[in-house]
Formats: sequence, C-alpha cells, structure tokens
Amino acid sequence: MENLTIILFLCVSIPILPVIFLLPDQKSRQFLGFLLGGTTVCLISSEVNDLLLAAFGNDLLYVTTNITPVSEEILKAIPILFYAEAVSDDRNMILANSFAMGLGFALLENLVILTRNISTVSIAWAFARGMGAALMHSTCTSLVGLGISYVRKRRKLFYCGTFSLLITAITYHAIFNTLIQSHLRVWAFVLPALLSLLQLWMRFGWMRMTKS
Amino acid sequence: MDMEQFWGNLAVMLGALSGFLYGGPRYLQPKKPLYASMIVLGITSLMLGRLYQCVRIAAGFPETDGFQIGMLGVAGASSFFFSSNYSQIDSLVDDGGPAFRRYRRIALLGPLLAILLYLPLAFGPQSVGSKASQAVLTVFLAAAFYFHVKHLLIPDVDYGVVRCLRHFNALALALGGFLMVEMAADAYGNKLLLLAVRMVITALAAAVVPVMDRGVKAWRT
Repeated sequence: MENLTIILFLCVSIPILPVIFLLPDQKSRQFLGFLLGGTTVCLISSEVNDLLLAAFGNDLLYVTTNITPVSEEILKAIPILFYAEAVSDDRNMILANSFAMGLGFALLENLVILTRNISTVSIAWAFARGMGAALMHSTCTSLVGLGISYVRKRRKLFYCGTFSLLITAITYHAIFNTLIQSHLRVWAFVLPALLSLLQLWMRFGWMRMTKS
Repeated sequence: MDMEQFWGNLAVMLGALSGFLYGGPRYLQPKKPLYASMIVLGITSLMLGRLYQCVRIAAGFPETDGFQIGMLGVAGASSFFFSSNYSQIDSLVDDGGPAFRRYRRIALLGPLLAILLYLPLAFGPQSVGSKASQAVLTVFLAAAFYFHVKHLLIPDVDYGVVRCLRHFNALALALGGFLMVEMAADAYGNKLLLLAVRMVITALAAAVVPVMDRGVKAWRT
C-alpha cells in the first residue's frame, strides 16, 4: 500500500474521529461515523484493487471499468449490512448512513487521485470530479442500502432485492468509471448530476403528494 | 468505433429508457406496489447495461473477452424479475402444498428453455471465458423463466393477482428468450439476425412496463 494513501487517510480521519464523540445526538454521530467508515473502506479497497490489478495482468483500463466497480460496491455494502443486521434496520437511518459511506469513500478517492495528478488538475477538474464521484458513490451505496433495509423485515426480498440493486449500482459505477477515463469525461459530471436531480424531483414530488 | 454494435445497443437502451420514463414516475415512489417498482428497476438495469455498452464503444475502449459489466444489465433485469415474482407474488398463489405440485413441475419448462437456448452458445466459436459468462447469465434468466412460466399457468383462485399479470409474464419471458438469441447471434457473428433480434428486444423492453402497469391497475381495482 502506498504511504501517501495512508497519509491522506490519516489527514482526513484524525480530525473526524474526536468530533464523532463530541456530537450531541446519535444521528449526527452515526452520519459522521459512516463518513469515516467510507474513507476506511476506500483505504481497504485501494489495497484490494492493487491485488486485482495484479491478478488481471495489470490491465488498468479493464480492471477500472469492469472489476473495481464490483469490488468497491461490495466493500461499501458490508458495513451497511452489518449496521442493518446488528444495530438498526430503520430505512431512513440506513439511507442516510449509506450516503455518508459513499461520500467518505469519494472524499478519500478524490484526494488520492488529486495527489497522483497534481500537475494536471484544475478548478474545473475539482468541480467535476468532486461532484461527479461524490454523487455517484453516494447514490450507488444508498441504492444497495435500500435493499439492505429489508434484512430483518422480509428475508426473501432482502436476498434477491439487495443482489439486484447491487448489480444496478455496479453497472452505474462502471459507466461513471468509463466516462471519467475517456474523452467523454464531461458526462461523468452530467450523468450523476442528472440522476441526483431526478432523485430530488422524486423526493419533493413525493412530499408534495403526501401533503395534499 | 463499431457502429452496428453502438446503434443496436442504443436502440435497446432507448426502448428500455421509454419503459423507465413510463414506470419511474408511477412506481419509483414510496407507498407504490413493490412488485411494480422492481419491474421498473429491472428495465432500468437493462437500460444501464446497454448505456454502458454505448459509452464503452463511444469512448473507443476495446470489447473484452469474457466477463464485462454490460452483461450485468441482463443479469440485473432477470434478477429483478425473479425477485419480484419470488418475493412478492409467488406466496400469494402457491402455498407449497401438493395441490400446486403439477404447476411447479410444468414451470421447470422455463429453465429447460433457457438451457436449450444456451446450447448454441455452449458450442459456439467464442472463448471459454465468454461461454462461462454466458452460462452465468443463463442461470439468472432460467430462474426468472421458472416464475414467468409458473405464473402464466397457475390458477389464481384467491386473489386474482397473477391472472392480471399474465400478459406481463408472457412478455418478460419473450424478452428473456430474445436476449438469449441475441447472445447467440452476436457469438456467431450473424449480423442480420442480430439486427432483427435487437429490434424485437427494443419493442419488448418498451412494452414490458406499460403492460405490467395495466396488469397492476386491473389487480388493484
């Protein structure tokens, strides 16, 4: 594992860790805890991805567009699954924590990519990468979290639904990874932004519906 | 850029997109039938799989031998169709008793159909990696086919749910079958068959959600 990844992880996690214990309410503590969890999963996945890269003959393009979306989505789902099984299966909490997990993952991933490409990055890159990766990782993890929220209530639905949602999240993740590495990289920002607008529209449409 | 593959996948993606645009606002909301939401998500999965293929081709990335993410579109769609029937509907019409044993046995024709459609792929010219990936996809499709066939035939005396969804199950079964034919046409490089099959898949992908919607409305009224 590269030292730089560990240094960046420590830079992000050390300030977060004490704040978790200082926050007054449990929801905020959990959200921040999962944000930290996301950075930790990112650290672990960088090691796993290195192993996968070696296993697939160092074909970086193939691995990043076909293999790492699978490994990263599975790794991000494990803490959410543990939380739902051992702590609470409250759907809103699971979705909020899934978002935090994805956000934390994107945070460290962006920092690692930034430091590796320090000579070529720009403000436009930061904006596109920051928005695109954060929205994509958060959406993917919350999609899987939605299936996991059935873990105690409806087992049949949990097994099949989570697996199906995981497949959908992996495909979306792979589309993003393909776009970001190609000349179509502007779409890597547009696609997650459009999907997030769709999520917002669905959320507020639903709120309007329940009010009326 | 492989234009034939690009346009073929784009057509299927647009067909699935129209299904998503029809079903998304209606069913991807809380307090809507989960069965219908899962069908819409299945079509969304198919759409994303084809979008991946289009993006890969447009980006100029090479087609990989063996496993590639685009395959997950079919796996996701089959998985959602299987999940919706297995976890939401099946227990309403089949209590697992001996009365319905005959229908459970007949439903095995579904997986058998999937195996038969896989045979040309098993003896095809593609690599072992591709054959293995296609075999895994066949397992997903076979699982979905089992419930499609079962719900086409089983008498629904108590709730009338499955009766309303028979047209959907017939279409979904046809969609799965044509997806397997598409794999075979692609493997053998039969461009004419591939074009024809993709046109049918596009139409079926566009029709599945509206037909399911009609069934769900009939069942809820």
